[in-house]
Amino acid sequence: MIEDITAIAAWAGLALFVGGAVWDLIAAIGMNRLPDFLSRLHAATIGVIGGAFYPLIGISLILLGTDIMGEYRYIAAGSAALTAFLVLLLAPAGSHALARAARKKGLYRKDILVIDQQEGGETE
Amino acid sequence: MIEPPSVDLVTQVILFAFPIFIVAYSLYLVRVVKGPTILDRVLAVDAFFFDVTVFVMALAAYFRLHILAPTAIIFALWGYALDVYVSKYIERGEMGD
Repeated sequence: MIEDITAIAAWAGLALFVGGAVWDLIAAIGMNRLPDFLSRLHAATIGVIGGAFYPLIGISLILLGTDIMGEYRYIAAGSAALTAFLVLLLAPAGSHALARAARKKGLYRKDILVIDQQEGGETE
Repeated sequence: MIEPPSVDLVTQVILFAFPIFIVAYSLYLVRVVKGPTILDRVLAVDAFFFDVTVFVMALAAYFRLHILAPTAIIFALWGYALDVYVSKYIERGEMGD
């Protein structure tokens, strides 16, 4: 029974790892194609949550479910899970700090901004 | 009884995912070099650092080096420190203590 659960977790981890690689590629393309800083924050969020958090959880499940690393698997799997937790906490905080600095100093394109709620909320 | 994925299959999947990650890192580095403002460059370096953690963990799983795994935490903390210090310097013109 417990072997079934760990085997299913390892297969899910493989799927998360490969899917995370595809998410990372999509985010890197978006980082180059989007027009200004506030738009590139979307691509950065996809690249961090989809391209770093999911593959780390996937590697943790792979290491727990298969005997790829022998008796040291718990050290590596725990490190992967802790890194995933830290990425999930730190990436939105860092993105918010950068967005706040860009908003205060006006380092974004105002001609493609649809609405600015702090300037009266007028569209266009 | 469900069989877990074999060690060969896991190694092949990690080898298959390496080129995708490397192409993504190259595209991030294009934005780091090209970015018009410094915040674009810092955002790209931030996403790059958080993905280097994945790369280090995949290398640890590929080479079976358990001692390589906890170094990924340091990369995540570096990316966050870079974000906070640069945004505070842009915002107020001083680094703080």
